[in-house]
Amino acid sequence: MTEQIRLEHVSFQYPGAEKPVLQDVSLTINKGEFLAVIGRNGSGKSTLCKLLNGLIPHFYVGDFFGKVTVNNLVTTEHKVADLSRHVGYVYQDFDNQIVCPRVLEDASFAPLNYGDPDYKNKGKQALQLVELLGFDDEFIWELSGGQKHLLALAGALSLDPDILIIDEPVAQLDPYHAKKMYDILYNLNVKHGKTIIVIEHHTEFIADYCRQVVLMDSGSVVWKQATTDALRQVEQLTARQIYPPQVAQAAYLLGESAADRLPVTLEQAAALFPKITDTASAVRKEKTVSQQPHANKKAVAELKQVVFSYKTIARERKTVLQNINLTVHQGDYIALVGNNGSGKSSLLRLLTGLVKPDKGDVLVTGKNTRRQPPEQLADEVTYIYQNPEEMFIEDCVRKDVEYFLKARKIPDYSKKVDRILAMFDLTELQHHDSRLMSGGQQRRASLAIGVAMDPSILLLDEPTANLDIATRKYITRLIATLKNQTGAVIIATHDMQLVAEWATRVIVLHEGEIIHDGDRESVFSNTELLETAGLKPPQILQLSRDLQMSPLAYTVNDFVTAWKRKENLCGVCT
Amino acid sequence: MEYARKLSEKLSVEQVKIELLNTAYGNGHTFLAKLDPRTLFILYLLFGVMPWFVHNEKILFGMFVFIAAMTLLAKVSPLILVILCLGLLGQGGYYLIASLFFGGDLSIILPLLELTLKLAVISLASITVFCSMDPEKLSNGLLKIGVPGQVTFSIAYGYRMLPSLLEEYHHVFLSFRLRGKAPEKHGFLYWQAIAYFCKIAVLSFYPLLLSMSKRARTTVEALETKGSLYGFNHPEVKKLKLAHMAFGKRDYLFILFFLSYLASLFLLFT
Repeated sequence: MTEQIRLEHVSFQYPGAEKPVLQDVSLTINKGEFLAVIGRNGSGKSTLCKLLNGLIPHFYVGDFFGKVTVNNLVTTEHKVADLSRHVGYVYQDFDNQIVCPRVLEDASFAPLNYGDPDYKNKGKQALQLVELLGFDDEFIWELSGGQKHLLALAGALSLDPDILIIDEPVAQLDPYHAKKMYDILYNLNVKHGKTIIVIEHHTEFIADYCRQVVLMDSGSVVWKQATTDALRQVEQLTARQIYPPQVAQAAYLLGESAADRLPVTLEQAAALFPKITDTASAVRKEKTVSQQPHANKKAVAELKQVVFSYKTIARERKTVLQNINLTVHQGDYIALVGNNGSGKSSLLRLLTGLVKPDKGDVLVTGKNTRRQPPEQLADEVTYIYQNPEEMFIEDCVRKDVEYFLKARKIPDYSKKVDRILAMFDLTELQHHDSRLMSGGQQRRASLAIGVAMDPSILLLDEPTANLDIATRKYITRLIATLKNQTGAVIIATHDMQLVAEWATRVIVLHEGEIIHDGDRESVFSNTELLETAGLKPPQILQLSRDLQMSPLAYTVNDFVTAWKRKENLCGVCT
Repeated sequence: MEYARKLSEKLSVEQVKIELLNTAYGNGHTFLAKLDPRTLFILYLLFGVMPWFVHNEKILFGMFVFIAAMTLLAKVSPLILVILCLGLLGQGGYYLIASLFFGGDLSIILPLLELTLKLAVISLASITVFCSMDPEKLSNGLLKIGVPGQVTFSIAYGYRMLPSLLEEYHHVFLSFRLRGKAPEKHGFLYWQAIAYFCKIAVLSFYPLLLSMSKRARTTVEALETKGSLYGFNHPEVKKLKLAHMAFGKRDYLFILFFLSYLASLFLLFT
């Protein structure tokens, strides 16, 4: 194996920072590796990657020590422009990396800048590699989020670099597109021999695709190991708030002490856990009583025969929702799932009254949204944006939370604000500018803003997107506490763990229509439905399905409890 | 009431975004859009700058007829034309009232009309020329006539960011609406409602500033890795970028046409 990247005792400190982000990092990466860099937020993962294309120390001038060699080029002696031909970089906020209005133009932007007369073909080849064909003259704002991500990747590929760095490749993608992204990266790695480095929180993807893992902690590399070995270090990982694949967690909790037997993929787990066919009937008795009928519950929102479309830039109307009939009851905790573009956000926005249906009626607590300005509906409905920054209209957290109460001259609002800030752990941060906080803090602030409005219906758009897993778990817990706060909650999400752990009712949207409405079991046990809607159940649920467990285990704890009980039963049997 | 609702639909942020993008990119199929940007620059020089120095209303009117025809050819978005007309009428009306107030009389009307005519020619020329070039074409044209690469790139890039910025602005605007409280009475001629909307329209700009600067950080880094600096400093890259630009037969004929039209105007009326 040829060595391609070598870091020797590298330390780096951003100007004005109190302590170094990287401390004495030494690491070698060989040609053709598929490497995942893991570590909690702020452990120096992005900084490590920016060393490789020379952005550090050329662009970020800080205190730099040590030596970085990439393809035999020492980064301090070569410019970013030279190194970029060896290293392609896709940012987490890839949207801002796309600089030209048309697809092909953007893909061939870099080769053009370097004066390559064949730049158009280079761009086309790159687009072919990421399977983004037939969009050459399309405007970038007509692309979906997933397509934009692929375009950013094509832009990085157009110079034909040997090394590709992708910062969180699937953070903003639905399960279908996430898998596609990794399949493309795998192809680039295996067929085209490119070294792939990803910064990744999803250990299940790491187990399926990556071959090596680097663990970082407070600016140092803890170790570099082969993936299977790396993901079996359950204690080391969880201590750093990284969650190994659910199957590994489950096996670990079930006392699989021999670390070399811990499964990290579904296949390995299926081999380890025997099928439960013989005892299935014994466990089946556990089946929980399915949901109570809706009949005796109060309806808080209704959509009747709703059709909704919007105008595209080409001045055509595009139908996003059709024939929607839906009643939301008091006490419903609904997960709205479906691929990108299936109409989830539009449905939520219809309930806020910000947009009106083309046909049909939307009733919120009995009032037709056609005849109500959104300001009045806001007393009943709260909508929490996918991007929390778009909710911050004041210059500190506290002012943002109290804005609604103040505008309505609610007496004694400051006590209520204090209580809500405490509930979301924001008391310390209340005078900070929300826009300068971390992703998880911003999300908490946006939830606090929503809860302060005391709505009958709370709508959340992708509340766990773009968060690392530890923060995601924390937010999921917070969302669970909302159940006692509001009448009904609707969450549009791709996060199947959230769906599995939280929802009492799951609505599946597909191409603008509701194709399923039922409890979580009815969704996750229906393989055909999952396939059509492009949904991927959490790994532990897949495992329990493969093992024919009934009821299905929705969380690692469910699985462990069920398995222990089963073992006890078997002990009695034999 | 129904009328007001329809108007407000036309004026939604979403609609403005669609119109802006169409004005910028959507007119690629018209006759004028197929010309070389340099031809359009010459047209602009004659019809956008020269009217300041022409005081013969007959010639001005002739120019107006020509440029109005070109505006029709360029298929300019009606919304923009409406805004332009409102602007021109507003301005003319304001001058008239001001001059009457300070003791003028109705003899002011004629010179005012001439000024309005001048402004109309100039504005129509600007609209026609810039609607017929998408930002890329404009930026390439400017690059060709020697404007630095950094400037021309910023023009194209600014337009590329426009839709995302408008979208973000829209969301912030809606945040204000969803959390604020609209005035309960509309007031005389809706003035309270209008004041409320104007206020949040302005306030919505502030949150945008910070998020823009955050975005810019990634973009600047990405530009660095995509070699834009290298491109700006190497003349052969510029040549490669502009290789597709060429004067065609169409350009020569069109220049000949509008030059002879102008010449005959001057010959006839002076």
